[in-house]
Amino acid sequence: MIKKIMIILCFMPTFYVFALEPLAEDELQKVLGQGGVYLSGDITINENGGPLNDASDASTPAIWQANCSGASTNKRCGARIAVNAGDGANSGWLVLDNIRGRFSFEGMTLKTRTINDGFSGDGVLFDNDVLEIGLPNKVSYGDVSYTLANSSKARPTDVGFNQTDILNVKVDGDVTMRGNLLLFPTGTP
Amino acid sequence: MNCNKLILAIIASSLSSVSVSLERLSDSTLSNVQGQSGLTIEQSQLLNIDDLSYIDDGNSLNIQGLRISSQTDVNASSSQRYLLDIGADGALSIEATVNPTQLHIDAIRINNSVGSFGDLTLNFESVTNFSIKGMSTGGLEGSFATGISNADLIWQTNTHSMSFEDIAFNASIDSFTFEYDAIDNTKGFTRTGLAFGMDNFDFSFSTGALSLAGVSLGELSGDLALSANLQVFGGGRYGTQGLTLHSQVSILSDPTNYVKFTDDGNSLYMGNFSGSLNVTNLTLDVESGHLAMGFDQLDGAFNAGTILIGDSSRPIGSVELTFLFNDDDLNGRYNRFQLYPGIRQPDFNLMPTGIKTYAENFYSGMTPASEGLSLATQWNLANAEVAYIDDGRRVVFSGIESYGSANTTIDVRDQKIAIGISDLKGSYSIDGLKVGNDSAQLQGGAELLLALEVYQAMDFDIDGFTEITAGGVSGGGIRINGDYYFSNANIGLSVDENDNGIWATGVNYDIHLRDITFDVEGDGIQINRGEQWSTMDVANLRWGNKTDGRSLGRIKLERFERNSLLAISPGGAGEVCVGAAAVSAVTCGAAGGRWEDRGEQGMTVSLKAAFSDAGTTTDGSAQARNRFTWENNRSESSPGEYINDTGTQMIFDNYSTNDGLGTSDTNSYGLQANLNIDVFETKVLKKTDGVDANGIAGDLGEELIYDDSSRNSYTYIATPNEAQKTLRPLGFAVQGNVSFKELNIDSVQLKHPDVVAPQAVFYGVVMQNLNLTTNLTATPIQ
Repeated sequence: MIKKIMIILCFMPTFYVFALEPLAEDELQKVLGQGGVYLSGDITINENGGPLNDASDASTPAIWQANCSGASTNKRCGARIAVNAGDGANSGWLVLDNIRGRFSFEGMTLKTRTINDGFSGDGVLFDNDVLEIGLPNKVSYGDVSYTLANSSKARPTDVGFNQTDILNVKVDGDVTMRGNLLLFPTGTP
Repeated sequence: MNCNKLILAIIASSLSSVSVSLERLSDSTLSNVQGQSGLTIEQSQLLNIDDLSYIDDGNSLNIQGLRISSQTDVNASSSQRYLLDIGADGALSIEATVNPTQLHIDAIRINNSVGSFGDLTLNFESVTNFSIKGMSTGGLEGSFATGISNADLIWQTNTHSMSFEDIAFNASIDSFTFEYDAIDNTKGFTRTGLAFGMDNFDFSFSTGALSLAGVSLGELSGDLALSANLQVFGGGRYGTQGLTLHSQVSILSDPTNYVKFTDDGNSLYMGNFSGSLNVTNLTLDVESGHLAMGFDQLDGAFNAGTILIGDSSRPIGSVELTFLFNDDDLNGRYNRFQLYPGIRQPDFNLMPTGIKTYAENFYSGMTPASEGLSLATQWNLANAEVAYIDDGRRVVFSGIESYGSANTTIDVRDQKIAIGISDLKGSYSIDGLKVGNDSAQLQGGAELLLALEVYQAMDFDIDGFTEITAGGVSGGGIRINGDYYFSNANIGLSVDENDNGIWATGVNYDIHLRDITFDVEGDGIQINRGEQWSTMDVANLRWGNKTDGRSLGRIKLERFERNSLLAISPGGAGEVCVGAAAVSAVTCGAAGGRWEDRGEQGMTVSLKAAFSDAGTTTDGSAQARNRFTWENNRSESSPGEYINDTGTQMIFDNYSTNDGLGTSDTNSYGLQANLNIDVFETKVLKKTDGVDANGIAGDLGEELIYDDSSRNSYTYIATPNEAQKTLRPLGFAVQGNVSFKELNIDSVQLKHPDVVAPQAVFYGVVMQNLNLTTNLTATPIQ
């Protein structure tokens, strides 16, 4: 179900997303309702390759078979997303390829709350519930990388597959993130 | 109350067929037998009673075709032997040996109803010993022991049967008392009744197989020791006759207590029980068309210290439950049960169209004379608390409340147990979590259950029809087919104690399950979902309250899966490096990670969702696909009421998984998710400088540490020591892995209300070779 909610949240172009200054503690004390969930941890993508790299599986296509231990740079070891934004069979595919890396964070919060005060008086007028995503103070990136490419076919195994890499990205380091995202519906449902 | 009449009728009927004739012994002869081996009575008995009725306020419970006979020949007598003796303390001791005997009932009806509960057959042999003597204060006391063996219990409806085979049952009571001095004032007047007391009532049972058409669903066994007091009074809940019972039961704390379900040699085991159970005003009345049962209050506690799934070396933890069912006159919520003979079919015309045809098919061939059991139920759970303890760490799901009503039918069909539920209407909610101990402050966090598709609150109206057959993927086990429909439900996804939060409202949820199998394997429980298709149509996803909170719009989720799988096995994540890749505490710390030993207990949930390409279901009854639709800007039929399919829609159409070569490829890998779940201390950092909502001061980045094990107060500490780290907040620690070979979306579409067909934005999205691992700790917060 969490996945469903996240899917909903990911595809809301008309959603109002506010990045706000941190509330003063006295304002926080006026927030009604209970709390939610405090999340910490890490997310790792294809640290040792993906399920299509399994050479011991006879059904794995040869083009995907690779040794994908942590130090491997084989470009088949990452995850791959191909999107056809053209007109279907006659157009090429925009590809994010060889997606790998680790994201770690401390203290992302997820909760619902009622805002009926604060925000320089706007809270009284708002007087509604929001889903608050409290951003973690620090997100660490470890060997996060991907390749942006154009491809003639969706899959490397498709007949006539031909891909042109445009650029490679690799990210290491920390990002400081403060504040909250407040999500709430608006407009005609 | 005609209980005495019933007893007399049974005795009179028994005597009528007992061929025993004894000569009276003279006093001189009796004086010579003292200290001898007592008296032996051998009896043979063939008992046939056409109709035995229990009459309550003019309504009769009819037991028809009652027969006690030999097992091998229903026209032959069974035999028993009784050894009677008088002990030195004046107690009468009786040893009763019942040779293989069959007890059979053709039908049980109410007021000679057309429908009946079906017929029952019990084959058994037994040896029973009991002694009894008078008490100085009046009444009787004694001890009791019995052993029943080679027993089968068969329930048959409409010529089809299910059976408990090869039953063994042993019971003993160290001492019991039987007095006529119980006083009851619960009805506004005083009445006297029978009082039973049992000290150390220890019983064990086992069944060789719970069988349908010769195939085993599995085996049950158990052992339980308890002490109990019961008070029985004449007069029920309705009219002047009937039966009322109070009881106080204490489940004795005994490591040997257990209940076990075994499938193909692998077991689900729950043991080391203790607890209590108290019931007030449990009543039994015969009404014009049904047996009426009910109670004013049922409360108790149940603790299971050991829970094993398959692997006997790895317990998943322990569970403690407290509960209170009581009547709520103010809101008209009660705990009542009405048992009707036969099958009472629901009114199909009142059903939602989405389930009506399935319901009609389910009851096709059933008539008013069909045998089976129909049940009308009301319940009111005023409060329950469920605690899960993992390696000594405790999380309590607190403030669980539920009420509702339902109509149920149960019968045995061609190799199936058929269970129909209609008008299952009610509500449930969970207030929140308490972590550490039962007196800790109530917190949010029940949202964590969403990962298991358990919602925090729900108002429901469900019609559902289930057929259970014997046989899982291998050998025994359980196989289920079912069709279910939720009408206009409200689902709380994240709500507080005032019912405010995020709600899915006006939900119609249509679910169809085929060939769902349940097996116990050596390493856990395995549920294979042969085929499943469903549509969840959420009229409004609301922020705030469920009635008029702001709506995000309509969400519609269609699913179509084949050969998906859910497995639950014991043991959590064990030792984990969070934030780095390492296999030891030293290397983890050196790499900037945090080493956590999450213990031996916990559980692992493994899920494989094999999303199918659009197509026809195996039974040909429906076209099914995986599709997600979000619609808003709909037209209003009245203020606040929106008309579906009148707005703008965003559609993710026909998403499916495959083994990497496209939708024509096999789909054996699917989308796999493995979750190792533990309860563990979690690191919670302060996110701002200053005083928090509870008035506790701290700086950004300092850790929240409880002051002691009561976990009622806390302090922010910059660098906690090892002892303080054990007082970190408790939460769920989840090591997860999500992977798939290919997840394919045929198209992403937009549909304007003025056009007939949706228009594609993306003509395809192909995602491949993902292996995503997470180490997350989720802590309830205030």
